[in-house]
Amino acid sequence: MPDPLLYLKATGVAAIVSVAFALAMTRARRCVSTSWLNSVSVLGLSLGLGSGYYVLSLRLAWPPANGLDRFLTIVVPAALIVELLAGFQRVPRWFAWTLRMSLVVAIPRILVHGSVYLSDAGDWTIWQAVWTMVVCSALLAGTWCLLAWLYRRSPGVSIPLALSLATQSAGLTVMMAGYIKGGAAAFPFVATIMATAMTMKLLNRRMSSSETNDGALENVPIPATIGIGLVGLFGCLFIGLFFGRLSSGNATAMLVAPLLCWTTETPLFRHRKPWLVGSLRLALVAIPLVIVLAMAKSKFDREMAPLLGNAAEMRHEIFVGQ
Amino acid sequence: MRRYISLWILTFVIGTTVCGSGKSLLAADVYAYDPIHSSVGFKARHLDISWIHGRFNEVAGKFSLDREDPSKSTFELTIKADSVDTNNKARDEHLRQPDYFDTKQFPTIEFKSTSTKAIKGGYEVTGNFTMHGKTNKVTIVLMGGKEHNFRGTKRVAFSTELSLKRSDYGFDKNAIGPIGDKALIFIDCEGVRK
Repeated sequence: MPDPLLYLKATGVAAIVSVAFALAMTRARRCVSTSWLNSVSVLGLSLGLGSGYYVLSLRLAWPPANGLDRFLTIVVPAALIVELLAGFQRVPRWFAWTLRMSLVVAIPRILVHGSVYLSDAGDWTIWQAVWTMVVCSALLAGTWCLLAWLYRRSPGVSIPLALSLATQSAGLTVMMAGYIKGGAAAFPFVATIMATAMTMKLLNRRMSSSETNDGALENVPIPATIGIGLVGLFGCLFIGLFFGRLSSGNATAMLVAPLLCWTTETPLFRHRKPWLVGSLRLALVAIPLVIVLAMAKSKFDREMAPLLGNAAEMRHEIFVGQ
Repeated sequence: MRRYISLWILTFVIGTTVCGSGKSLLAADVYAYDPIHSSVGFKARHLDISWIHGRFNEVAGKFSLDREDPSKSTFELTIKADSVDTNNKARDEHLRQPDYFDTKQFPTIEFKSTSTKAIKGGYEVTGNFTMHGKTNKVTIVLMGGKEHNFRGTKRVAFSTELSLKRSDYGFDKNAIGPIGDKALIFIDCEGVRK
C-alpha cells in the first residue's frame, strides 16, 4: 500500500542530509576548487540517496534479485562513481564522456539481466532485445548530451530542477500504474538532486570568485546533478516500463520532457533575465508532465482504485463489465 | 544331454535376471500433469476478515511413481506466474508486477521433490519450492494415488494443501499490507501415464 507519510519522510531526510553535508564541507574549507565542489555534490547526493533509501527500507541486495535491486546496487553507484571521476580537473573531457557513454550502453543490459526478456523462451528474440536496448541507450545518450550542451551554453539550476520534476512525475506515474516500490524509489532522487542543485546555487551566490581556486564555480556541480538525475529518471522509467505497466509513450515523453528547456535558447527568450528563463524552462517542462500525470491518474481511477476498496466501482465492474 | 541341461539353466538364469531388472525398471511409472483435469488454486487473507481466491491457469509437471520403493518417486511442478487469475483483470495485472510476483523477472513458480516417503493414504514429499526467486525447503502431504484406467490410459491423482508465508519468499513487506502474509495453495493434480 502506498504510504504518503513515509515518502514525505524519505524525501525530507534525503534533502536534509544532502544539504547538511554540502554546507558542512563548504564551511570546513574556505578555499574551494572546482573538482572539490564536484566531489562534495556527488558525495552529498550519495549520502542523501542512501539515507532516503534507508527510510524507504530499500536495501542494497547482493546478488541483486530484480530490476530495482540492480538499479540501486549497480547502476546508481556506477553513475555516482562516473560523475565523481568526471569532475576531477585532471580527467580529460573525452575520457569523462567515454565513461558516461559506457554507462549508458550498460544500463539497459544490467536492468533486464536474468529477466524473461533475455531468457531462451522469453518475450523477446535476440534481435528484439538488441534493438530495444540500443534504442533505450540512444535515447538516454541523446538526452544526456543535449542537456549537458544546454548547460554549457546557458547554465542554470533550472536544468537539474527540470530533471527533478520529470523524476517526480515518473515516480508517481509508475506508482499509479501499480508498481509502488519502483515509483517510491524516485522520491529520494528528486529530493537529493533538487537540494544539491539549490545548495550549490546558493553557495555560488554567497562565495565570491576570490574564494575559489579557479573561479569556475558555476560550471562544476550542476553537471553531476544532471548526470545522476538523468540516470535516476531513466532507471525509474525503465523498470516501470519493462517490469511494471508503464506505457512506452508515457515513458518516452517523461524522459525527453527536460529537453524542452532548450526552448529558451530561441532568440525570443535567449537574452531574458535568468530567473525568467529558468521559470519558463520549468513551466515548459511541466506541460507534458502534467498531461502524462493526468492520463495516469485517469487510468488509475478506472483500473486500480477499485482494488483499494471502492466497492461501488467494483460492483459496477462486475455487473456492467470491464 | 548334459550340455543341453547347462544351456537350459543358463538361459533360465539370464532370463530371470533380465526380467527381474526389467520389472524394477518398469516399477516407476512416469506421469505427465494433465492440465485439463488438474488445478492449482490459492487463497490469501484480505484485511484479515475474508479470503481472496485465485488460481494459476498454466501449469506443467511430471511425476514418477514407484509403488515398490516410494523413496524413488519424484514430483515436479512448474507454474507460470503470469497465468494468475483472481477473476479481476486489474488485480491480476497488479499481482504480476514487481511488488508481488514480478513475473517478468521470475516467470515461474516451481516445486521439485528431493525425498519421498509413503504414508497412510498417500505420500509425504519433501522438496524445493521456488517462488519470486527464492527457494525454500517444504514438505507437502500428497493424499490419493488411486489409479484408474480410462480408455487404455492409466491415470493417477493426488491432492495437497500447502501453507506458506509470502515474506519467506522475498515479497515486499510494505506490499503485504491488506493482503495477508500467509497464503494457502491447493493442488489437485491428475497425471496421465506417458
